[in-house]
Amino acid sequence: MAEIRKVAVIGAGVMGAGIAAHVANAGIPVLLLDIVPAGAENRNVIAEGAVAKMLKADPAPFMSKRAARLVSTGNVEDHLDQLADCDWIVEAVIERLDIKQDLYARIDKVRKAGSVVSSNTSTIPLDVLVQGLPERFAADFCITHFFNPPRYMRLLEVVQGAKTRPEAIESVSRFADVTLGKTIVMCKDRPGFIANRLGVYWLQVAVVEAVDGGLSVEEADAVVGRPMGIPKTGVFGLLDLVGLDLMPHVNASMAKALPAEDPFHAANRDLPLITKMIAEGYTGRKGKGGFYRLNRAGGGKVKEAMDLVSGEYRPQRKAELELPKKLKDLLASDGKAGRYAWRVLARTLSYAASLVPEAADAIPAVDEAMRLGYNWKFGPFELIDQLGAAWLAQRLAAEGMAVPALLTLAGEKSFYRVEAGKKQYLGLDGAYHDLLRPEGVLLLADIKLNAKPLLKNGSAALWDIGDGVTCFEFASKMNALDPDIMALLGKALKLTAKSYKAMVIYNEGGNFSAGANLGLALFAANIAAWTEIEQLVAAGQETYKALKYAPFPVVGAPSGLALGGGCEVLLHCAAVQAHAETYVGLVECGVGLIPGWGGCKEMLARWAANPKMPRGPMPAVAKVFETISTATVAKSAAEAKELLFLRPGDGITMNRDRLLADAKARALSLVDGYAPPAPADYILPGESARVGMVMAAEGFHRRGIATKHDLVVAGELARVLSGDGADISKPVDEAHILEAERAAFMRLVRHPGTLARIESILETGKPLRN
Amino acid sequence: MKTVVIAGYARSPFTPAKKGALTTVRPDDLAAATVRALIERSKVRPEDIEDLILGCAFPEGEQGLNMARLVALNAGLPLTVGGQTINRFCGSSMQSIHAAAGAIQMGAGEVFVCAGVESMSRVPMMGYNPLPNPALYAANPGAYIGMGDTAENVAREWGISRAEQEAFAVESHKKAAAAQAAGRLADEIVAIGAVREDGCVRADTTAESLAGLKPAFSEQGSVTAGTSSPLTDGASATLVCSLDYAEKHGLEPLAKIASIAISGCRPDIMGIGPVGASTKALARAGISVADLGVVELNEAFAAQAIACIRDLKIPSEIINLDGGAIALGHPLGATGARITGKAAALLKREGKRYALASQCIGGGQGIATVLEAL
Repeated sequence: MAEIRKVAVIGAGVMGAGIAAHVANAGIPVLLLDIVPAGAENRNVIAEGAVAKMLKADPAPFMSKRAARLVSTGNVEDHLDQLADCDWIVEAVIERLDIKQDLYARIDKVRKAGSVVSSNTSTIPLDVLVQGLPERFAADFCITHFFNPPRYMRLLEVVQGAKTRPEAIESVSRFADVTLGKTIVMCKDRPGFIANRLGVYWLQVAVVEAVDGGLSVEEADAVVGRPMGIPKTGVFGLLDLVGLDLMPHVNASMAKALPAEDPFHAANRDLPLITKMIAEGYTGRKGKGGFYRLNRAGGGKVKEAMDLVSGEYRPQRKAELELPKKLKDLLASDGKAGRYAWRVLARTLSYAASLVPEAADAIPAVDEAMRLGYNWKFGPFELIDQLGAAWLAQRLAAEGMAVPALLTLAGEKSFYRVEAGKKQYLGLDGAYHDLLRPEGVLLLADIKLNAKPLLKNGSAALWDIGDGVTCFEFASKMNALDPDIMALLGKALKLTAKSYKAMVIYNEGGNFSAGANLGLALFAANIAAWTEIEQLVAAGQETYKALKYAPFPVVGAPSGLALGGGCEVLLHCAAVQAHAETYVGLVECGVGLIPGWGGCKEMLARWAANPKMPRGPMPAVAKVFETISTATVAKSAAEAKELLFLRPGDGITMNRDRLLADAKARALSLVDGYAPPAPADYILPGESARVGMVMAAEGFHRRGIATKHDLVVAGELARVLSGDGADISKPVDEAHILEAERAAFMRLVRHPGTLARIESILETGKPLRN
Repeated sequence: MKTVVIAGYARSPFTPAKKGALTTVRPDDLAAATVRALIERSKVRPEDIEDLILGCAFPEGEQGLNMARLVALNAGLPLTVGGQTINRFCGSSMQSIHAAAGAIQMGAGEVFVCAGVESMSRVPMMGYNPLPNPALYAANPGAYIGMGDTAENVAREWGISRAEQEAFAVESHKKAAAAQAAGRLADEIVAIGAVREDGCVRADTTAESLAGLKPAFSEQGSVTAGTSSPLTDGASATLVCSLDYAEKHGLEPLAKIASIAISGCRPDIMGIGPVGASTKALARAGISVADLGVVELNEAFAAQAIACIRDLKIPSEIINLDGGAIALGHPLGATGARITGKAAALLKREGKRYALASQCIGGGQGIATVLEAL
C-alpha cells in the first residue's frame, strides 16, 4: 500500500481550500491549485486568496499558523507538473462533467504511477466521471466526499468504482482515517451517496410537512431538534446555516438523478415562499436573513422569525408545545407536534430503510453517515430501535403507508443488540453480525459492554483497559470536577500503583472537562462554608500532586474542552495524547478566580524551562500572566502546544476514535524505567514583578479592555505568579506557590465581584464583565 | 573653547516594527551599517575617531552588553576607537552628541561618532524584564507611567482636542510624503540590504481616516495610534568633531553646536519636557525663538508636540520641514541623532542661521540642542 506523503487539491473553493487546510493540519504538505482568472495579474490569485481568507475565517479551517505554511499555492496552467510528486490528488472543482473530465485527462498526463485521484463531487456518479478515460486512470480513481467544513466534520464518504484498485481505496481510506482523522463510510455509487441522499430528503420533508401542518418555524425546529437528537438548529435553522439558495440546486440534481419511483419526487415540491425569499436575497445567514434574522433596524437587535403563512418577519416566539420526553410518546401524542413528528419521522425513517442495500451495504453505514455528516445524535436505525421496528411497521401499515422491506425483515427484532459484550447489527440476511471496529480503534464504550469498573462513584470510574493499563473516566454532569472525582482519583492512583503499570485519563463525553463544578462552589459560598471550599482546593492540590508524582506514568487523553481544572489535570500528567480538536485553557479569571489546583505552578515551570524565552526572571512570569489573565483558550491541540498547555513531546491524535488506543500505547511506552519528575525550584522576582504586572493590568483598564473586577483578579494572579513575596536570590518550592494559589483563590471566592461572575455563568451561561 | 561641529549625518530607513522591512535585522547590524556609511560619506579618517557613542533606550537582548563596542568592531573601525552605550531613553542619541561635544571641549578627543539605534521589533518597549521598584511605584506612580498616558495627560491639561491632534498628524504625513516624493530624504538614508525607503509614511492619511481610530491608551481618551509615533526600527549616526579638525581634514561641517541643555519635569506630563530644555538652551545660546529658522521637534505624540509648540510660541512653518516622527517613525534610541543631524542639514539647505532640535523623554525630561550656521 502506497504511503501518502504529499497531497494536491485542485479547486480552491470553500471545499477544496478547506480540504487542503485540513491535510496541512495533519502535517502533510499540500499543493492547492485553481484556474487563472481572465486578465489576472497574479496568476495564483484564487488559491492564494483562498488561503488568506481561511487564515481569517472563524471557525478556523487551520489548526495553527504553522499548518498554513504547509500549503503551497499555484494554478492549473503553470503548476500542473507539480502533481508529479503527489501521492493523492483531490479534485474539488465546479460540478461540471466536461470540466472535470478535461482536467482528469490533463492530470493523467503528469501524475506519477500509482497515485490516487479522487473527486469531491456530491452529484456526479463515478461511472460517469471515468467514462472515456484510460483504464489506468479508472483503476486509480475514486470518490472522496468531504463534508463542510472539512476540518470539523468527521464524515468521509468513499465510493469505489467497478474498476478502482482495492489498494487505492485502502491507501486513501487509511490516510483519511489515521492521518486526517475522518471516519470512512463506504457508499455505493448512487446519487447523493448516503448522508445527503437521506439528509436532503429529510430536510425537504420536514419543511413541507411544517408548511402543510401549519407549524411555525420555531415549533418545527423544537420538534425536530432535541426530541429526535438533532442539533438545535433543527431544520429551518440548518437551512439558514447552509443557505436557502442551495436547496433548489440540490433538489434539482437529486430529482434528475433519482429514478422515477424514488419517494424523493413526492417530497420535492417548490415552495413559493422559499422561491420568493431567495429572489429577494433572504438566503440565510450569509444573506439578508433567512427563516430567522437579527433585525438591527433603528439601532435595535430584535430576533425575528419568518411567518410561513404571511411570508413576513415577526418577533421570534418560543415554541409553546408540550413535548413528551420519550420519542415514542411524542409520536403517539395527538396534537400538532405529535402529528408533525410522526409525519417527518415516518417518511424519513422509511426512506432510510429503503437505502439498504440501495445506497449502503449495511445499516451501520447509514447511521454513521447521519451521526457524523449531519450531527444527529442517533442514526435512523437507532431511532427505529427507540420506537421498535415492529411498532413502526405496524403504524405505517395502519396509516396506509408502505412498509419498507427492511422493517419487515426485522420483524420483532431490533437493528442493534449487545451479545456477549459485543455490539451487533442486523444484516440483510436476517442474522446479527459483530460491529467491527477498524484496527487501532479502542472505545471505552465497547469495553464497558463487557466489563465492570474497578472503582466507581457518582462522578467517576476506573476501568481496566488491558495490558496493565487503567483508564480513569470522569462521569459527572458535563464532566465537571467535584470532590467525588478527586476522591476517586486518589483511590485510582493507589490501586493502579498496586496492581497496574500505567493509567490513562480519558472519557467519551463531548468534552474532556469544562472545569470545576462552579455550582457546588457557589452553593458553598452562599452558606459561607469557607473551610469546606478551602478543603476542596487543598484536596485538589493534593490529588494532582499525587498524580504528578505517581510511581507510574499517567497519560491524559483529552478531546473537546479541557478548561480550568480540566486543564490542570493535564498539566500534572506525565504525558498527554490529545485529540487534535482539543481546546485547552486556564479560564478561571473569567469567573473571577485564579487556577488553584497547581495550574499557575505548572505553567510557571513550563515557561521558565522554555529555551525560546528571553533570559531574566520576568519573561516566563509575564507570559503566564498574559495567558491566564486573559483566559486564553487554545483552539486546537497544535495551538495548545504553542501555549505550552501541552509539551512539545506530547502526542496529537487526529481521529477521535483512535485516541484511547494511542494514549494507552503512549502510557505503555513510558512504563520501562519510568521515574516521576523531580520537583522544580522556582526563581521568582517577587514584589517588583507583581507591581510590573499590576501596572500592565491598570493600563488595560484605562484602555477599557480590563474591567474593575479584572483588576482585582489580575492583582491576585500577579501575587501568585510573582512568587508571593519571593526574591530572585531565594528560590521557592512548589508548596510555596500552591499555598499562594490557595490563599489567592480563597480571597477571590469571598469577593462579591467573583460571586456575581459565578452566578452569571451558572444562570445565563454568559460571562459577566463587572 | 573649541568650536564643536556636526560634520556628517546618515540614517537607516525607518520602518514599522514587527511588520516592516527591517524586522529581521539585528539592531547591532543596523547600527554598524549606518556608522560605516557615515564614515565613508564624511571622509573622516577612521583612526582619528576617539569613541563611538551609541544611544539606545532598551539596551538588552540583541541591544545588550556594551553594544557600542560591538558595533565599532562590527563596522570594522580601528581597534583604537572606543565604544560606549548611552541611555537617556528617547534622548539617548542626542545625549551621545552632547557627550561628544563636552569631551571635545575638554580636549578629550577630536572626532566622535554619535549614533543611536532601536529595533522595537526585536527588543520590546519596557524590555524583557520590567521590574519596577515597588516602594518608588507606591510613592510616585508617575515614575513608571506609560508614555501614552502622559500624552493623554498633556492633551487634557493643555486642552488639545482630538481633531487638533489629527490635523497635526495629517500635516506630518503630508510633509514627509512630499519630502520623500521630491527625493529630499534620499541623501540622508543608508540602504540596508535592499531596503532604501522609509516605511512608516502614509501619504494617504486624512483627517477622516484618523477620526475612525479607537483611542489607544484610554477608553475616554483622545490619543490614537494615528496621533502617536509608530513603533519603529531604525539607526542614525552623526559625525561630531572640532571645527579645527574639520577644516584641517577637509570635512564639510553642517553646523556648529551653539548650546545644549537638559531639563526635568513632572513624569506624568513628560511630553512637555522640550519646553524647559529648549528655554534653557536658547538662553545659553543667547538667542530667542524669534531667531530660529529651523526647528526639529520630536513628535512622540501630536498632543505633546502641539503643547510644546504652543508654550514655546514656535511658528509652525519652521517646524519639522520634512515631516516628524508621527510620519517617519520613532526608533527610540535613534531619534535624537536623527533630529539633530537633520536640523544641521536643514540649516544648511534652507540657509538659516539658528536651529533647535528638542525632544521629550520618558520619566519626565527634555533635551535640546541649538545649532548655528557656520
